[in-house]
Amino acid sequence: MTAMFRAVLFSQWKWSRLVVVLGTVAAFAIPLLSLQGAARVDRGALQAQELLRAVQSWGTLYPLLATALGLLMAIAAWAADHRGRHIHALTLPLERWRYVLLRFGAGFVLLAAPIAAVLIGSSLAVLTATLPTGLQAYPIALAARFAFAAFVAYALFFAVSAGTARTAGIILATIAALVLVQVVASIANIDLDLLSAAQTVLLLGPGPLAIFTGRWMLVDV
Amino acid sequence: MSDAIQIERLHYRAGKNFEIKDLDLHVPSGSIYGFLGPNGSGKTTTIRLILGLLRPLSGRIMVLGDPMPEQHARILGRVGYVPEQPHLDATLTVRELIDFQAAFYPQWDRAQAEELVQRFELDGERLFGRLSKGQKAKLMILLALAQRGDLLVLDEPTDGLDPVVRRDILSALLTYVSERGATIFISSHLVHELERVCDWVAVMDDGRLITEAPMEKLKHGTKRLVVMGAPAEIVNPPFRILTRESANGGGAGENWVVGDWEPGMTSYFEGVGASVREVIDLDLEDGFVELLRSFRERRGGARR
Repeated sequence: MTAMFRAVLFSQWKWSRLVVVLGTVAAFAIPLLSLQGAARVDRGALQAQELLRAVQSWGTLYPLLATALGLLMAIAAWAADHRGRHIHALTLPLERWRYVLLRFGAGFVLLAAPIAAVLIGSSLAVLTATLPTGLQAYPIALAARFAFAAFVAYALFFAVSAGTARTAGIILATIAALVLVQVVASIANIDLDLLSAAQTVLLLGPGPLAIFTGRWMLVDV
Repeated sequence: MSDAIQIERLHYRAGKNFEIKDLDLHVPSGSIYGFLGPNGSGKTTTIRLILGLLRPLSGRIMVLGDPMPEQHARILGRVGYVPEQPHLDATLTVRELIDFQAAFYPQWDRAQAEELVQRFELDGERLFGRLSKGQKAKLMILLALAQRGDLLVLDEPTDGLDPVVRRDILSALLTYVSERGATIFISSHLVHELERVCDWVAVMDDGRLITEAPMEKLKHGTKRLVVMGAPAEIVNPPFRILTRESANGGGAGENWVVGDWEPGMTSYFEGVGASVREVIDLDLEDGFVELLRSFRERRGGARR
């Protein structure tokens, strides 16, 4: 099984190495850039608020990066199999669930690089910055949150990407129907806000997708 | 002799227009089994059923003694497969594809893979997507052979290839069979090619098996007869009448194409007041065409 995993990991690395490298560079740079103005020692209370605002606005990039990485890695994981109509994969001598697990595991291992980059970049940024009194740095918590978000995004898109064109069609049709109903309701002056309701249910309610919302703060009170 | 592949009363349907019905197939172990049929006859579908890529509606498929698709992982470890269309990842090199495949087969033969890379003159560093059609076919054969399986399933492996590449591939297959005693199940519509290498042959059309027989029996048992004075009704002939039509120029002469023919059967005609003026040998291609024609006439008649 180890040899199989190595083979799958190598093929997946070859397909997604550009995504991994760019994602890793971005994941390393974002925390450094978010604290670029914090290296001065003469900061008071107002500067602390400025710093928090800067850190918060840079913080919106972490969930976006995690989602983009999850999406692209999931597409890369299945692209070659889709092109070959899954014939090669389905004629390999192992149970299909094992093959899916190999592909899933390989993608997640590759995501370790940008996750580690967030941790290293955050730690480096905090070490080189002088934080105003009362502010604390949370590099490990930020990296753990980024890891969880990347994992959730990857798992979600991996499941969609593993399916057939029909599955993707059903998902797109559901989204299109939601938008259509919303448009029709707006035209008919009906008090119906499906998109906000969907956002509340999916992102704000308790569940794995809630990880993408809220404040992603490297530095906080 | 046991069967490497045994199919009984297989039923499969794809949409409204195509079905495989009541398919019985027996591929003897150690044989080179040719699976003939025109395009769209159901050869590739049958192969996909054999490999567990499709699930039948009913019937039984046994491959190397195990039921398919229930034991597909176990069976596929002993089966090399070359599909009709290249199915490998175009972004991996020849060497990377060999390494990938090797990881999944414990009995992988690295020495043979290396020998075939040299013999087929494959560039290990070249991307699969950049290989010529012939080189792709050679690499797929290499991967199937180096698995050291007991059964090779080849779906039109030489279709569209030049004669030199075809000869290289067939030669590698024959060497493998002679060394390993493996079974080869090879589908094709290139009749002459199968005639040279196969010892068993089956013919399929429109999802039905028309015939399954040892190659020698099919080749030597299919004849064209010029028959004089034959009665309209023929009762219990010892051979199969495939087609029967008036000879060119009219008169009492008729051209018959018969299967399961054996020397000495001309005496049957004397018993019914007829005579055989000529017995003409047919090669496999002629026999194949006549089998198809006869099958389609019967099917057409049954539908009307």
